[in-house]
Amino acid sequence: MSAVHFQSLTAGEKRGRMVSSVIPEQPILETHRITKQFPRVLANDDISIRLHKGEILSILGENGAGKSTLMNILYGLYRPTSGKIILKGKETSFSSPRDAIGAGLGMVHQHFMLVETLTVTENIILGSEPSRGGIIDYQLAKKQVLEISDLYGLHVDPDERIENLPVGLQQRVEILKALYRHAEILILDEPTAVLTPQEVEELFRVILALRGKGVSIIIITHKLEEVIAISDRVYILRRGKLSGEGDIKDLTKESLANMMVGRDVVLRVLKKDYEETKYDDKKESVFSIENLTVLKKGSQPILRDITFNVLPGEIVGIAGVDGNGQSELSQAVMGLIKIDSGSIILNEKEISKLTTKQRIARGISYVPADRQRDGLVLEMSVSENIIIGRHDRKPFVKSAGRINHQEIKNYAQKLTSDFDIRTPSVSVSSGALSGGNQQKVILAREFSRSPLFLLLNQPTRGLDVGAIEYIHSRIMEMKEKGAAILLVSLELEEIFALSDRILVIYEGAIVTELKTEDTTDNEVGLYMTGGWNK
Amino acid sequence: MPDWTFLMFLNTDLLVATVRLSTPITLAALGATVCEKAGVVNIAMEGIMIIGAFFAAVTAFYTGNPWLGLAAGVAAGGIYSLIHAVATISLHLDHVVSGAVLNILAFGITRYLMVLFFGHPGTSDAIPSFLGDYQFAVPFLSKIPVLGPVFFNQTPIIYISFFLVIFLSWFLKYTKTGLHIRAAGEHPLALETIGVSVYRIKYLAVFISGLASGLAGAYLSIENNVSFTEGMTNGKGFIALAAMISGGWSALGSFLSALFFGFADALQVRLQIFRVFHVPEELFIIFPYAATIIAVAGLVKRSRPPKADGVDFIIEKENE
Amino acid sequence: MSRNLISGNSLPLRKYCDILSGFLIAGGAVFYLGSSFLGLIPLASGAALYLFIIFYFEGREKGAGAVKKHMSRLAVPVIGIVSAVFFGAIIMLLTGYDPVRSYAALFYGGFVKNWYVSVLNATPLIFTGLSIAFAFKAGLFNIGAEGQYYIGAMAGAWLGLTLDLSPLLSIMLIYIGGSFIASLWNFIPALLKVKTGAHEVITTMMFAHIARYLSPIFIRAFGGDPATSSHAYVTYEIPQSNWLLSFRAFIPDANYRLHTGILIAVATAFFVNYMLNNSKTGFEIRAVGFNRDAARVQGISIGKNIFIAMMAAGALAGMAGITQVLGLDHKLFENLQAGYGWNGISVALLASNHPIGVIFTSLLWGALDAGGQYMARTTNTPNSIVEIIKGIMLFLIVAKYIYIYAVKFIKKKRRGGNA
Repeated sequence: MSAVHFQSLTAGEKRGRMVSSVIPEQPILETHRITKQFPRVLANDDISIRLHKGEILSILGENGAGKSTLMNILYGLYRPTSGKIILKGKETSFSSPRDAIGAGLGMVHQHFMLVETLTVTENIILGSEPSRGGIIDYQLAKKQVLEISDLYGLHVDPDERIENLPVGLQQRVEILKALYRHAEILILDEPTAVLTPQEVEELFRVILALRGKGVSIIIITHKLEEVIAISDRVYILRRGKLSGEGDIKDLTKESLANMMVGRDVVLRVLKKDYEETKYDDKKESVFSIENLTVLKKGSQPILRDITFNVLPGEIVGIAGVDGNGQSELSQAVMGLIKIDSGSIILNEKEISKLTTKQRIARGISYVPADRQRDGLVLEMSVSENIIIGRHDRKPFVKSAGRINHQEIKNYAQKLTSDFDIRTPSVSVSSGALSGGNQQKVILAREFSRSPLFLLLNQPTRGLDVGAIEYIHSRIMEMKEKGAAILLVSLELEEIFALSDRILVIYEGAIVTELKTEDTTDNEVGLYMTGGWNK
Repeated sequence: MPDWTFLMFLNTDLLVATVRLSTPITLAALGATVCEKAGVVNIAMEGIMIIGAFFAAVTAFYTGNPWLGLAAGVAAGGIYSLIHAVATISLHLDHVVSGAVLNILAFGITRYLMVLFFGHPGTSDAIPSFLGDYQFAVPFLSKIPVLGPVFFNQTPIIYISFFLVIFLSWFLKYTKTGLHIRAAGEHPLALETIGVSVYRIKYLAVFISGLASGLAGAYLSIENNVSFTEGMTNGKGFIALAAMISGGWSALGSFLSALFFGFADALQVRLQIFRVFHVPEELFIIFPYAATIIAVAGLVKRSRPPKADGVDFIIEKENE
Repeated sequence: MSRNLISGNSLPLRKYCDILSGFLIAGGAVFYLGSSFLGLIPLASGAALYLFIIFYFEGREKGAGAVKKHMSRLAVPVIGIVSAVFFGAIIMLLTGYDPVRSYAALFYGGFVKNWYVSVLNATPLIFTGLSIAFAFKAGLFNIGAEGQYYIGAMAGAWLGLTLDLSPLLSIMLIYIGGSFIASLWNFIPALLKVKTGAHEVITTMMFAHIARYLSPIFIRAFGGDPATSSHAYVTYEIPQSNWLLSFRAFIPDANYRLHTGILIAVATAFFVNYMLNNSKTGFEIRAVGFNRDAARVQGISIGKNIFIAMMAAGALAGMAGITQVLGLDHKLFENLQAGYGWNGISVALLASNHPIGVIFTSLLWGALDAGGQYMARTTNTPNSIVEIIKGIMLFLIVAKYIYIYAVKFIKKKRRGGNA
């Protein structure tokens, strides 16, 4: 897979980038030897960066490399342990976001800071309301919002509630929010995480337009393609330290990757390590869904007439933009929500009437998307989390429903070593583990059940490259063992790396089925956005 | 056969009593609404009301001036509610737990102070002059048939409660602070990151709920009554919570639900007095409580609470 | 190595020691709760033996670790109690009472002179505290335990008046039947919680008020007659065969009112603790209480466990009422507004919902009440100061974050001082 969908930027736009990377004398924003010590980690170690006016600067790094800490320092949420921030040549210190905003900084957070029940206008003016005597002048507010959206070409209905807007437009509101506060420097934190390739393209146009109006932009990201596609310069962070910097024209993807992880990225090689399974029509499918429909509160369909099957030893990927029915599909398979019509078949038996417990007993394992909410009981111990779901079965219970603590402990110890879970002991609460280890606890629990069918919803969300690699290899092992696997992921890269077939979900329907080797991410992206019928 | 002559008592007086009995519920529900809009669950209304009622009565008793009693009740409620604010906002205590503790503490405080001020627990001495004396008919409006006497020939705190229903609806929608309160309960981080202190907004909202509940308490002891009695709130703080929920977390909705509960209470009293059904009188007293359960059960699904209601908000700001 | 050898060889010895210490502690506790202070001797020696066993068989490190663990668990409550006593003293000074004399009377009355009253007070509190703690474990707040207490008392009185079998059998039947009826009092709140999401704080609270108003009807039906002066607001007395055994039966100088309900209460606490930690139901309840979503994903039925927790909570609170009727009152009074349901909230919170902790917090609360009465009788300090001290104590122990701030503050100060 390659960064094809960024190629549509015109030659003129690219030239614009070259021109603007002529560096003026004085940086608009500079950090000087910033260090941030948290109780257990050194999050930022001696970091000096410069941002010039009208520049698009990327800060590249893995999860946990210290990008967010640095941005939170710039935005006044954290105070640095040592070092200084120099704004337009003057040393400044921000003790709160208010200071940062006042100084002309704007931040677009990865998780939008928008109040869903309020309107676009209310969200944009929040905290800087035009008012007289504490009473908001909504007329004026709306006028101002319209003016700014005209000026920058960011159109959105000012009276619409945020909850009714698609993600791309919500992000636009976030940008407008910053511009409304006269931001000269815009920090975008993982801005493409929730966007479709087409929305990404639109965002990039907006960013270039903003640069054209003199706004300086910092993009925080872990995606190499984005850095190459949009930025003028880049700083690379690794484990809290600056591990590289440079003009984008002097760098390649490979060199960036090297600086980011300190070794070559091996993600894509993975599949070749394992034998390709050929799709075989004659094979009996282990799992299938027929005409599944789920209605939202009895009216609007969230899942429409979904039909597909999964063969043993096959990984089927479900690609799609977040919120197109993926979570409902998982919940329907697990029996966590009611289905309105259709059937779910496991091993030739209808299971859609069964309880969650019965489905698990029949051989379904499930790795939910939100591990802290749905995957683990954080307050309970690692061992309890490893056996939960089987806590009522032998050998974990003795007679009269009594729990067999010794058996549980032995079993948990075995699995923690099998799955390389780093924990001081199996009796510590699972909330004390790192994200990667928490995910491994879930994997250990689900994979050790030897499932016939494995449902994975974003199994590597928010993890670092090392953990992702490990989890991918375990998934491939399950495939080797013959499990039928359904992989729901928002990361196209992951879908392409693992699946044999790709289904695209859009507005609750499966809009296409593609063989991985016959398609490109651009094609999948088109389907993900409903672009196929244009 | 029940004696149906009681039907002739389904008259304006019943509605007047409805308004009177609903007033403390309305006030506490208004306070709870503001509080929960800002994301703080408040089940301490019962305790705050008791504190408000006590201080209103004591002040009215010693000064002889019920208006000072009113001010004292409101102020005491506000101050007492700040404990809830400190506990839930600054000390990150579970909101429901803190509320329960405050209800228990209020009982202890008033009992101690009863002994201190009046020499005995139970009921205080009667205050010399009470706000019920200040019944006031609004010219013209009070002449409207039925609605006139119900809404426009009432006592001071009842008028204040009407005003507050309208004022708080407006306040939440059209003022900066109101907008901030609504944002704080839905997405506090969004508010904090654009530079508004969520803690301050939450403190303010809890304080407002304390003032309102204090006023509700004052109504009980110095307007609807002439003395303070321990436990005189009788679950009204919790009924107010039910009114807020079935009123869909809005000022007007809370008011309408409170009117319904007031009506249940007013009706109950009449059924009891006229012994319509020959059953023990206690079964009538139960009626408003049963009505509350039914209302909460029937209406709770229709609306949704603020997203971050009752959720602790910690700013990960400093690590020292 | 040698340690292993010793513990390997002396396994039977260890077993005997365990049994002996358990026997001493249990036996001592029974006598102590029966207001015989001689019980403190076996109790203390049993505890000392227990400590010795750990140090001897598990090594100094493990022993010290265990001691440290218990100490750190007790740190917050102890600090909270001491501070509350301190604040209480300030309030007394400000309002013109003598804190030293008052506290001396409070302590003497609560823990020495009228210790049996403390135990009597604690008995129903343990049950209601367990009720609330158990519901909390499932993430539910059974704020209306007071109502289930009333229902339990009524059911206990009814069955006590009607059942006439051999004493042991009928007492057992009264407990089973009465707690079942009390558990039904939580059926509708549980149903509403599961079906509509109606918050149990409101529904159980309303049911508590309803239960309170039902008791006069019940009393009138069973002998209460407002027209008479002797039996105005009280039922007939239940036959003596249905009374709980009095401590007098085996401790001759025990107060005649002191009954063995406390032993049932303590046993129930241990049983609840065992169930929570060692049964699959307990496992599910804890999982549901901590994280409903994750539990559901693992096939644990939320509705079923809410029902179990609410009904069990109702039954436990009901047992408080039953014990009170069978053990102490032997009849049902109107206005038995002892507030055991409300105080149950305090003792549960104070014990961080730990069933064994509830025993101790209930005894503390009971002693404060008993000591308060003694104090009011012997000094002129009003009894109600105890309520304030209780409130402050509760607040300081529940608001654990205070200590995090305090530690931070001290550290900062220290650093500031050095710089």
